[in-house]
Amino acid sequence: MGVSRRQVLLGSAGAISAATSILPKPAIAASDPIKIGFPAAMTGPSSAPTIGFNRGVTFAVDAINAAGGVKGRMLEVITRDTQGDPTKAVNATQELISQAKVHAIWGPFNSGEALATTPIMARAKMPNVHPCVVETLIDPAKFPNAFRLAPSNNQWDDAVRNYCLNILKVKKVAVIGDTTGYGVTAVGASVAAFKKDGAEVAYQANIDATQPDMTPDLLRARNAGAEVIVVWSVSTGMEARMFNTRAAMGWDISFVGHPSMASGELAGLVEKPENWKKVYAIGYKSCSYDASGKLPAKSQDLVDRLLKANVSVKDTLLWWIAGGVDAIDLIAKAVEESGSTDSAGIIKYWNSLSKYPGYFGNYAFSPTQHNGYLTEEIVMSEASSAKNGTFALAPGYT
Amino acid sequence: MFASILASGLAAGAIYALVGVTYNTMFSTSRVMSFTAGQLAMLGGLFGSMFTLKLGMPLLAGFLLTLIACAIVGIITEFVAVRPVLKSLDQHLYVLSTLALALMIQQVAAIKWGTEPQPFPRLIGWGSGVWDEKFWLPVVACAITIAGLEYLYRRTLVGRAFVAIAEDNFAARALGLPERNLRVASYALAGVIGGIAGFSGGELLLAFFANGALLNFYGFVPVALGGLGNNRGAIVGGLALGLFQQAANFLVGGIFSSVAVFALFIVVLLARPQGLFGFQAARRV
Repeated sequence: MGVSRRQVLLGSAGAISAATSILPKPAIAASDPIKIGFPAAMTGPSSAPTIGFNRGVTFAVDAINAAGGVKGRMLEVITRDTQGDPTKAVNATQELISQAKVHAIWGPFNSGEALATTPIMARAKMPNVHPCVVETLIDPAKFPNAFRLAPSNNQWDDAVRNYCLNILKVKKVAVIGDTTGYGVTAVGASVAAFKKDGAEVAYQANIDATQPDMTPDLLRARNAGAEVIVVWSVSTGMEARMFNTRAAMGWDISFVGHPSMASGELAGLVEKPENWKKVYAIGYKSCSYDASGKLPAKSQDLVDRLLKANVSVKDTLLWWIAGGVDAIDLIAKAVEESGSTDSAGIIKYWNSLSKYPGYFGNYAFSPTQHNGYLTEEIVMSEASSAKNGTFALAPGYT
Repeated sequence: MFASILASGLAAGAIYALVGVTYNTMFSTSRVMSFTAGQLAMLGGLFGSMFTLKLGMPLLAGFLLTLIACAIVGIITEFVAVRPVLKSLDQHLYVLSTLALALMIQQVAAIKWGTEPQPFPRLIGWGSGVWDEKFWLPVVACAITIAGLEYLYRRTLVGRAFVAIAEDNFAARALGLPERNLRVASYALAGVIGGIAGFSGGELLLAFFANGALLNFYGFVPVALGGLGNNRGAIVGGLALGLFQQAANFLVGGIFSSVAVFALFIVVLLARPQGLFGFQAARRV
């Protein structure tokens, strides 16, 4: 039986592929940088968090590289400005994965962008950490590569409910949000959770954020006997109107809820500074100072190091900076522990973290739980007490 | 509750009415419904906040500069979005051109002043509760503006020329009236009226880029209710809209108040398509 040229070629190809498949792969090339993708809204109206995160990223990368990098490999951050636009975020993510060939991605930083980019990163099995709050962004079955570094909206909700029911010890609540998709969803979830916990929801409403007068809704809430008002909105204008209306009505009731109630813009929107008192916004233990004005020791250490490195903490939030530091540390640690930049190794390492001590908080991940931030580390802050990006703990915490 | 409905309803209604008059002023000399009316009012708030709070100017200087800036935007509207489409009014291209300019104004405002509301200063410091100046100031501004317009249209030569152009453009031109210049002047005047609406309502609405779209919409309702080009109709329609909207806010809640407002709007237009104060124009055949 003769042997054809085709058979010879096929046989040779098979032999070569078999031989190469058992050759050992080279270990980490010692000089190759570890590339971290950073798709972020560096400019535009939603750029404020990125400015803070970026300071943390730069600080952490400089610190690690100055100490010799990760097993001799330097960290390299590849930034792409998404301008808060999901379309630009998608393009940036695809470019970071296919052209820049990054090893992990930190970002994006708003949920609209993340909803668009998360499936793309999942298809590429790209290790991804982000701080976006929308629940559906984390699903270990659909997106085994995606890990959340900050609380989800449900965790915020749990913390607010815990403060109202167990610390303020109120029984009747009013839940108010704006008419955006976020506001409607958050109010619905919050009302259901309060009822499940045995509280009475005396009043619930979604208000158009541009409604000039909040008297109708606050009157109805008062007449219904509400003992606290829970707010789910990112509209500082609407929040300021509610605070001003409360003062005009002479109603001594607390507002508890969304972190935007601690936004610095409110200082100019309230008619009097005292209208902003008794407002408790979601904050974090690590970034809250106690009655004596002291931060937790670890956070103070970070602030001292930041100030020594000339990183400003005055015009941003400390948790944004701390989150940026933690994200870079988590990626660097994963490469160090897994011994490579292989995505499976990085993801496997993150899945093994039971209580990773970060600056923003402690993180716990598992193969079935990618919401890493611990709910017990979420606290309420005095909304009007901002000082160097940190806030005073709300009354009731020890 | 009744006092609150009256106070905030009349205040919001006066702002809507002024935006309606802004629509009418631009319409009267050009036959164009310019959808920049609400944006002019929005700019009144933003310019007012910028001049008086950020730049720290005295109130009167800030107010006058706001009106001048809004008048300039009004003139730009005439040059950019109205003049090029006047030759083909029947194709209604002005809807696109003025809407496009309105969107541009809104985007530029968002970029310049941000997407969060900006504080607006307390202007006089009189009153509290339902007598707070944020409630009565727009009403007073509306009354003074209407009185001024009545004086302009009835007692001055320029005002009569405006009316002549509005009544019969061809006849006015045949008499030698400078139609183009008068049209530019009417757009500047509309800018001033929009600026007054935004400035006087700044304490109530805050200086916020998104107010433009809101006022475009709610300012159009009194025009449609009162009859196109009819300022008295716009005033009555605006005040009625504000009162009805606030009453609905109190009685059925925020989300449903918009539904109630537009349900009433549709019912009125079904009953009187020409508006409550409008009339069917007779056409010689």
